[in-house]
Amino acid sequence: MSTYYDENELDDEVHLSQGVIGRLLKLLKKYWLLILFGIAAIAFVSWLDAYFTVLNKQIIDEGIVTKNVNFMIKLFRNYSLIVLAQLAGFFVMMYSVGLLGEKLRYDLRGKLFNHLQKLSLSYFSKTPLGWIMSRVTSDTEKMADLLTWGIIDTIWALTNIGFATFYMIRLNSQLALIVILSLPIMIFISFKFRVRIYYHFRRSRKANSKMTAALNENITGVRVVKALLREDKNLKNFKVLSTDMFRESYRAGLISSIYLPTIQTISAISLVLVLWRGGNMVGNTQLSVGTLQAFITYIMLILWPIQDLARVYAEMQNAVASSERVFSLLETKPEIVDRSETTPITSLVGEVEFENVSFHYETDEPVIRNLSFKIPQGQKVALVGTTGGGKTTIVNLLCRFYEPSEGTIRIAGQDYLNYSLEDIQSRIGVVLQIPHLFSGSIRDNLRYGRLDASDEEIEEAAKLAGAHDFITKFEKGYDSDVGEGGNQLSVGQKQLISIARALLADPDIFIMDEATSSVDTLTESLIQKGMHELMSGRTSFIIAHRLSTIKNADQIFVIEEGQIAENGNHQELIRRRGLYYNLYTKQFRHDLESRLDPFSGTEKAGNPA
Amino acid sequence: MRTNIKNYKEIDVSKIIGDKKLSALWHLMSGYQLNFIIANLFTTLAALARTGMYLYFGDFIDGVIQNGIQGENLLVSALSYGALITLQALSSFISNWMAKITAESSTRRLRDYLFDHIQHLPFAYHSEAKTGDLLERATSDVDTIQRFFGEQSINIGRILMILIVSFIAITRINLRLALISIIIMPIVLVISMFFFKSLSKAYEAYQEQGAVLSTNLQENLSGVRVVKAFARQDYEIRKFDQENLKKYKLGRKFVWMHSLFWPLTDIICAAQEIGSNFIAATMVINDTMTLGQFITFHGLLVWLIWPIRNLGRMIIDTSRTFVSLGRITTILKAEQEDMTTSTFEPNGSIHGDIQFENVSFEYEKDQSVLENVSFECNAGDVVALLGSTGSGKTSLVNLLPRFYDVTGGRILLDGVNLNEYSRQFLRSQIGIVEQEPFLFSCSIRDNITYGVHREVSEEEIIAAAKEAAIHDVILEFKNGYDTLVGERGVTLSGGQKQRVAIARTLLINPRILIMDDSTSSVDMETEVQIRSALQSLMANRTTFIIAHRIQSIMNADQILVFDNGKIVQRGVHEDLLNQPGIYQDIYEIQAKIDSALQEEIDRVNLL
Repeated sequence: MSTYYDENELDDEVHLSQGVIGRLLKLLKKYWLLILFGIAAIAFVSWLDAYFTVLNKQIIDEGIVTKNVNFMIKLFRNYSLIVLAQLAGFFVMMYSVGLLGEKLRYDLRGKLFNHLQKLSLSYFSKTPLGWIMSRVTSDTEKMADLLTWGIIDTIWALTNIGFATFYMIRLNSQLALIVILSLPIMIFISFKFRVRIYYHFRRSRKANSKMTAALNENITGVRVVKALLREDKNLKNFKVLSTDMFRESYRAGLISSIYLPTIQTISAISLVLVLWRGGNMVGNTQLSVGTLQAFITYIMLILWPIQDLARVYAEMQNAVASSERVFSLLETKPEIVDRSETTPITSLVGEVEFENVSFHYETDEPVIRNLSFKIPQGQKVALVGTTGGGKTTIVNLLCRFYEPSEGTIRIAGQDYLNYSLEDIQSRIGVVLQIPHLFSGSIRDNLRYGRLDASDEEIEEAAKLAGAHDFITKFEKGYDSDVGEGGNQLSVGQKQLISIARALLADPDIFIMDEATSSVDTLTESLIQKGMHELMSGRTSFIIAHRLSTIKNADQIFVIEEGQIAENGNHQELIRRRGLYYNLYTKQFRHDLESRLDPFSGTEKAGNPA
Repeated sequence: MRTNIKNYKEIDVSKIIGDKKLSALWHLMSGYQLNFIIANLFTTLAALARTGMYLYFGDFIDGVIQNGIQGENLLVSALSYGALITLQALSSFISNWMAKITAESSTRRLRDYLFDHIQHLPFAYHSEAKTGDLLERATSDVDTIQRFFGEQSINIGRILMILIVSFIAITRINLRLALISIIIMPIVLVISMFFFKSLSKAYEAYQEQGAVLSTNLQENLSGVRVVKAFARQDYEIRKFDQENLKKYKLGRKFVWMHSLFWPLTDIICAAQEIGSNFIAATMVINDTMTLGQFITFHGLLVWLIWPIRNLGRMIIDTSRTFVSLGRITTILKAEQEDMTTSTFEPNGSIHGDIQFENVSFEYEKDQSVLENVSFECNAGDVVALLGSTGSGKTSLVNLLPRFYDVTGGRILLDGVNLNEYSRQFLRSQIGIVEQEPFLFSCSIRDNITYGVHREVSEEEIIAAAKEAAIHDVILEFKNGYDTLVGERGVTLSGGQKQRVAIARTLLINPRILIMDDSTSSVDMETEVQIRSALQSLMANRTTFIIAHRIQSIMNADQILVFDNGKIVQRGVHEDLLNQPGIYQDIYEIQAKIDSALQEEIDRVNLL
């Protein structure tokens, strides 16, 4: 899976705080049985690991040295049985921990996705898409890893060291002491090393992503690079990045190479001491050969759990940072919510009124000031004006994607804040400027308008929108795949489907943000026809760019700087020779020029094959 | 820790693009081959030291039991053992360190080379290639090679060495025992290779489902308005859950396979180990082997059996390396553009007189794009090119900077054949303003100075920005000229991008200008501003303008109308007006528009 990550987040260093631990434990609560299995299994496996060494000692001392063949056979038999037991334990551990990991991932991804559905539009306008994707894909992975392998590896390491120590003390406390004294040193040094290695590893990842971004840009813009003779300079800049990565990666590698040998050398000291002391004791028959062998084995094996502990410790911080980010997202509250008391309604048919409505986004500058108007049922309103004047905001407020900072919006007689969001949004039909389709079939996309629509109803809506003809021309017809984001269809086709979808929804109020990209004449007339269908009998608000739409509107609002600068119908406003007149004539020339001039404009985007 | 970073010896590409893969890998390491050899030598030394440790300990036991080594001798023995361990540790360190040097240095050089190579590949290559694919080859595939040099090759070497040395040591204890102990080796190797292949497949399916989930999520997030507008949150939740569950199930399958693999192979390996140990134990009881030898055998046996499983995995991983190498080699095989060869050295800048003599051009055999095109223009002239898409206008202008070379006829620049100039020189004299300008993710200032290869003063930059009608817009941004553009910064509108590109070209001050004046992606107010900026740009330069607007054409010194790669009409505005043809039709459009508008207004007044 392509995992997104933000370079800056690789810097996050957080400490395992009480709050995070608590929330992480809460997540695990419902999987207690799996965790129990996993922990029990790993402890079992760990114990047997340590026990094998004892068994081997027995084989040597009580089987071989004493030449007791029968006993030795018995010991070997036990050994085999215990191996099988350990394997079973190992299987249980791997499966339960692996399964837990997948369940956690499924759980977290689902939780995040569902929560995102509740958040308001304002969250999505200020949060980059990549950041959100990173939370759901990459951070959930890290969290799952922490809660499964992080915990299991730690428990394995601790129990392993514990059992080994226990058996060593039982075998010979003097020699055991030598080993135990070396443990803290080795653990300390391990931790130091691993943290350092991980630090450079993260920096090399960061450098890597910078390098990739530079390469990507250079490839995408290669024509410009060539035209401007930037090859040499860009190479020089790139070399700085690749050298950065080299430096960090090399350091991580170098420290990594030094790490294990260092610990091995330290353990060599305890080995030498044990050999010397132990050898002495064996010579004096105070100690058996098997026991000496056992100690040597324990010392060599104990390196592994120490390394594991250090690794988990080093990587834990990053995983905790991921967890914090996931929790913060889950705890973000949606801005637009239903009020505690809502009035249920079955239709939004009625007057639409704005009373002294003002609105501002994050900054203090109001986008809409003191806007007031009343639109009787069934009227078609065209909103025109320069970009940024406030037309989109008006539409956003109507849909209750945002709520007014001041003033009241009334639909069908009541303040619309009294209605539930679902009641409002399911009864307002929207066609956006850039039609958005989801991957799947045409039928699925159309059905988005009304989930329980029958195939006949879907076809009916498509026919009204003028989409039926081109759909049936496809090999699979309504079952044709639209591709990712609808990339198998042309812009015009997507628009028609958008309109059909809105028709199927049979809304009480219709809102449209007209597209500015041009389509061929046939599609254009189909779109207009479909719009006409949608608008008939319904109160409609259109952010209009087509002259035909504007001309045929019952009312035209010219929105400038958050206010209605002019309003009236086409004839009245033309006669006024004001803002509307200027806008209209400019657009008229522009449209006609584009239409008549055979060399104007670029290729129409995504022409149907 | 300070790391000394030196400059490296350059790669000899010819040795890498041959068919011999191993030889190619060897040459990729050039300059660091010694490091690699040393790494492998020390891997061997480490293996010897490790085996020596077990042998020594075995002898130690025998010595202590039989001869009762005491006191000083014992200490010396113990210390020697410690020395062996230290030797092994030191050898591992040197081996890994040398391998890291080889891996990191070779790949750093390879990355730099690929970067430069790709940007020097001709236009024709880039029109065919996909960005995503190129990128993946220059990143993931290089990473795979790095892993091979730095880890896999050394690990394979290490395991093989330990296997061989351990085996030899065991044969010296008892040949029969040694042979019995390796019975399962081939079995385990084959099983582990088979298993890892299936595991890889299961894992890939799991990853692919992850990509499906990502797409689903991305569509949901970018279509949030549609979701809310139709109040389809529940539906979306159910849709996502379906795919999410699929991923869980695929993950579960993978976990199941993974959990089975280890214990299953463990049984086989454990059986071998127990069996061999048992036989060895009975041999000690029967006095065919000493206790010390048993202990040595017991220790070495582990290294003989268990690493085989990892060897299986590594072999599968290594096959990926060859695939990656192949993918990188395909890019390396493509030829770079020759930038510097020239048979003519001009004195300073060019004048700008251009002649096309019977020029023909085709991208591929029998796909003629330009046929017998001839015309001439003087320095400073504006030549307007008209024609429908695919009529050859763009291909024609691409010939001037020698992005492509003519396939027939010739082009003369200041009387000299274009092919005699170096590409580097030509491109320094030509400025291009594209239909959809590309800006880089750096500051606005850096974008404006992007094509200039000398020191520029702030005044010059501001002057260019003013002429391009973008200076005021820049000042409206919080950081002004230092504002970052692109993903990490602000997103400029189409019109704003065009004006920055115009400022960029103005600063270069080229003698020849190639321009596409399509402004269809821009709103009407900005069009006016862009038009004035373009006017400034065209002054005093030989300009080739691919025209989309009637106004741009009207004032041209020469108009060439193209159809299917040939010039069908030519002349100045007044001439073409009187010729029946496309040109005449275009001109009449303006008049048509005026009258249509008037009609429209009148109609309103009558109502």
